[in-house]
Amino acid sequence: MKTYHDIAGDGGSDVIGQVVAKKSKIAESLAGVRHLVAIGSGKGGVGKSTLTMQLAEAFRARDKQVAILDADLNGPTQARLGGLRSAPVMPGPRGLVPPKTTSGIGVVSMGGLFPESEAVDFASVSSGDSYVWRATREFSAFGDLLAGVGWGTLDYLLVDLPPGAERTFQYAEYLGEAAALVMITIPSDVSRGVVSRSIAALRKTPNRMLGYIENMSGYYCDGCDAVRPLFSAPATIALDVPRLGAVPFDPELAAACDRGVPLGDRNRPAVAAVGAIAEEISRLLEV
Amino acid sequence: MKFLCVLCDQAMKLVEMAPPDRGALSIVYECPECAHRVAMLTNPLETQVVTSLGVQIGPGQGDISKCPFSGMVQEMTGGAAATPAGEKPAVVWTAAAIERLQRIPDFVRPMARTGIEKYAQDKGLSEIDEAVLDTAKDFFGM
Repeated sequence: MKTYHDIAGDGGSDVIGQVVAKKSKIAESLAGVRHLVAIGSGKGGVGKSTLTMQLAEAFRARDKQVAILDADLNGPTQARLGGLRSAPVMPGPRGLVPPKTTSGIGVVSMGGLFPESEAVDFASVSSGDSYVWRATREFSAFGDLLAGVGWGTLDYLLVDLPPGAERTFQYAEYLGEAAALVMITIPSDVSRGVVSRSIAALRKTPNRMLGYIENMSGYYCDGCDAVRPLFSAPATIALDVPRLGAVPFDPELAAACDRGVPLGDRNRPAVAAVGAIAEEISRLLEV
Repeated sequence: MKFLCVLCDQAMKLVEMAPPDRGALSIVYECPECAHRVAMLTNPLETQVVTSLGVQIGPGQGDISKCPFSGMVQEMTGGAAATPAGEKPAVVWTAAAIERLQRIPDFVRPMARTGIEKYAQDKGLSEIDEAVLDTAKDFFGM
């Protein structure tokens, strides 16, 4: 009697063929992207999205073409950070036209499609039990975004990953080896412990790990024009990947993010720090 | 998933799919040799698991929605994409413009359609072609 592997195809729907076809569409859509960089952590609330936008600003300031894909479908923030919460949805010749920030950063985010007052509600024909299928549905929607956007020619496409060590790993696998990874932590052992676990998991993927950024590495005090400690004691957990740089918390930057505008003063320590990190990432990606 | 006719040792082929009924699918397979038929009946959770891959089940007819956010999209657009039966649509789309629309993800199409139709109506246009799409793109500064 024949076994599963003796039979070609699946009898009619060609589910595997459809999945493979979508992968081809994604590859075609990303053909003009020089560097795909996924920014993750595993830990939530460490500033992944803020630093993603700031890195994009730093690349733009260096005349690079850059876009952001907000992979956090459930808690999207990039539309707000980019001031694009009510941008129109426009079909271009090669897919969805990414709306651009005032700096010229293309941003694709669920936050630009649905109001913040709405939970992101995936349609389902089954009631309850969403834990069985929801992750698959999310990756399918993420794939639709990768394949259905006219990314054009970009120096960098930054993918802002959702929190969760398992999600970071899954997105790395989904994006494949073309995506280099940058991890974000804050200087606490609680955060570094989770990030360390994510890094260990990511070693099983083929993705290149560029290193980590320490966010909220002190805070910048406008009054005394100095960076002061934010945490009382230094973290003790070592991360076994290169440190790309450290960015202090800046209340002005936080306020600008809420308003969806760039922080214009490049001399502020946080902006200067992100600029130096962007240059290091460029250097590493060119090696 | 594949189906084998044990008597003939032949892979069965999908021949028919009934319209979804309360989340359940009925898919009929037939042995190409002896014409014996079996039906695969899925419960809603099984249907949901497979459709979560974003794939079309069956030969195309009676497929359940591939849009992952159909409820939210309906709410956002108020179902504006549909023109009531018997009524002439306020604007018509050319085949090329529709093709362009179909290149964007399913779940953003209704929003794009609504926004562009409003733009066209505001400009007094009765037809949306690729040139109108390009003009709208420029109009919105994109």
